[in-house]
Amino acid sequence: MVGTVHAVISQVKPYITALVVAIFAAGGVQADESAALDREIDAIESEVASLSQTLFELEESVLYPADTQVAVFLALKDKEGLALDSVELYLNGSPVSSHLYTDRERESLRKGGIQRLYIGNLPHGGHQLKAVLTARSANERFIRREVRHQFRKRPGESRIQMTLDAAAPDYEPVVSFQEWE
Amino acid sequence: MQEWIRKLNPTRCFALVLALISHSSVLAQTGHPDLDLGIARFAEHNGQSAEALWYTQTPESEAESLVRARALINTGRQSQAVELLDRLIDGDYYRGEAALLRSDLIEDNPAETERLLTLASEKGHGEIRQRALYQLADMARTGDRPERAGQILATMDPGYWAALGYMNIAADYGKRDLNPSRALISLRVALAMAEEDPDRRRGEALKARLLVRAGLLAYEAGDYDKAISFLEKVALESYSTPQGLYLHGLALSAKGNQRDAMQSWHRAKKYPLAFAGVAEAWLGTGRGYDLTGYLGQAGEAYLAASASYESERVTLRKLADLVRDKGAFEALVSGAGETQTEWFLADSRMLTQPRSAYLLRFMENADAQAAVGRVSTLETQLDRMAQQERTLTVFQGVLSERLKESSGQAGISDAFRDRFEATLKRISGAKDAASAGSPEAKRLDQLALTLADVKDSANLFGPRLAQRDQTLRRLSGRIEKALVSLRQNRQRARQALDSANADLDRRVLAYVNAEADRMVTALEKAEQQIAHLYEYLALQNLKQGAP
Repeated sequence: MVGTVHAVISQVKPYITALVVAIFAAGGVQADESAALDREIDAIESEVASLSQTLFELEESVLYPADTQVAVFLALKDKEGLALDSVELYLNGSPVSSHLYTDRERESLRKGGIQRLYIGNLPHGGHQLKAVLTARSANERFIRREVRHQFRKRPGESRIQMTLDAAAPDYEPVVSFQEWE
Repeated sequence: MQEWIRKLNPTRCFALVLALISHSSVLAQTGHPDLDLGIARFAEHNGQSAEALWYTQTPESEAESLVRARALINTGRQSQAVELLDRLIDGDYYRGEAALLRSDLIEDNPAETERLLTLASEKGHGEIRQRALYQLADMARTGDRPERAGQILATMDPGYWAALGYMNIAADYGKRDLNPSRALISLRVALAMAEEDPDRRRGEALKARLLVRAGLLAYEAGDYDKAISFLEKVALESYSTPQGLYLHGLALSAKGNQRDAMQSWHRAKKYPLAFAGVAEAWLGTGRGYDLTGYLGQAGEAYLAASASYESERVTLRKLADLVRDKGAFEALVSGAGETQTEWFLADSRMLTQPRSAYLLRFMENADAQAAVGRVSTLETQLDRMAQQERTLTVFQGVLSERLKESSGQAGISDAFRDRFEATLKRISGAKDAASAGSPEAKRLDQLALTLADVKDSANLFGPRLAQRDQTLRRLSGRIEKALVSLRQNRQRARQALDSANADLDRRVLAYVNAEADRMVTALEKAEQQIAHLYEYLALQNLKQGAP
């Protein structure tokens, strides 16, 4: 009886081995296909990124001519004093930009990121920038502040950086403006 | 006089100038390295890689190089990132972070990966150092060097990465040892480490998983009190809750406390059957009634379990039909309103919807995550390309219009120059009339400055106008080229999406079929229990009826 079983096993063994090899081979082919697909997706992503860059450059050149361009940036000086909720920007009394912050964006600002809040065009001459900020301070207070800044649009690109500071112990927000030439 | 000055409103006066000002390109970074770096950092951190790459075109500092390297990796340009990272590894400030990023890009060279991770752990700080150490420990663990893994973990700070490391060690001990002591000690250490994770949500999710594992180990070793003490700490809104509740009930039942066990199972039954432990909790309720002598309720509970499994089989059949009809991505991922792959951070809404539950369970597998990730990436890229095409087409139209208009446009007119000179004279006259230092005089000074700026722009206008057509044609050519490249890439992405969708459909159908088989097994168990119960009741009746 035992001998018969052995005989059967020895007959079937090559088929089982072939089946196992085939299963592993199929697995290998599948893994190869997935790897090839991943490489193709990387190449597509790279091409899309390159196109995005071209588009970004074209947008800058078509939409925002250098002589009339005005850009407003926001940075944090004190990284822990304030958690920004929203910022609204007004140029000469007209709302031009508003932004609600996500956790990720707050984290980016805390890590030294500078956010471009607005880019647009203005004629030469005097203008007023107003910013309305809402935030939560480190001492759990909800804060709303309005700040104004007078500036003169001159030929060439104008860049205005708003820097928000809220130092301990009262975490009172202070906004300073810097114009980059 | 004040009335006269008001008429000189510069905005109104120079609106014409704005229309005439040249449209020369702003193809330059800001020229201020700090500002460039800050903008690039914000953009890169928020997924706007194109902007980050733009502001770090010519990285002047190591910080800029690092941001650029990350943006290159995010956009699939690993080979370019490698050059930057290699330079940073030999640099002064970001050696640790660069080494960690570089180690992720290495394939099939464990020695080099280990060298880079060691460097990252030595030179990096905070999260960088912890991640590098975790990866080193994991390499040692998977390379069958558990002692070395333990030594590395012992040098780590408490937190998420150390907790993950100890959880992996516990899994290994759990597989090797017959006695769960070592695994339980590792899990207790992991729990203490997870407590220190500053990301509370992530820490809580990990803690729930650790508690369920510890509970299971203790239950299997017959230490029911210990199992209960672990399992009753599992948060009610975590991904591991259903399994935790089922095991909690099992441990209570083993201690003879059927009433409380049934309460736990009853709570587990509120979750979709896709989750581990829920199907078993339905059966457990029947068994609980059976053991407490309520045979009628036990029968009803088994019948209810059987009905719920039948209903789930219908749900799974419909899901399989939907996958065949619309594709797995549409049926599971888009339909569930969830395109994120962080399955372990599920919220309570996700936990109670059957389709989301199946998606979450499916996504536990790394290969499944990769398959969904491929389709999701390609869908996102196709959306982006569609948007890009729309924008480029609009730009092309605008430039064509402007090229048509340009031929008839003259330079600065004599009338404009006369008006300019007259305005200058009026300002000069008004300034003579105003007393020095008065607000009017200051306002007139500002106006004079603005006029000087306008004059500068007007002087540059002629040469710019001469180049205008050339500039517009150059831009139009670039747009045309970008559109051709975009259309080719879209075609390529569509083909890749077809392959990725086919692969995902195959995986999801296999998973749904396996789930259907699981329901059949559960159904058979319920029916078996019902048969036993009726058989017992019949025998009891016979005994009672016997003389």
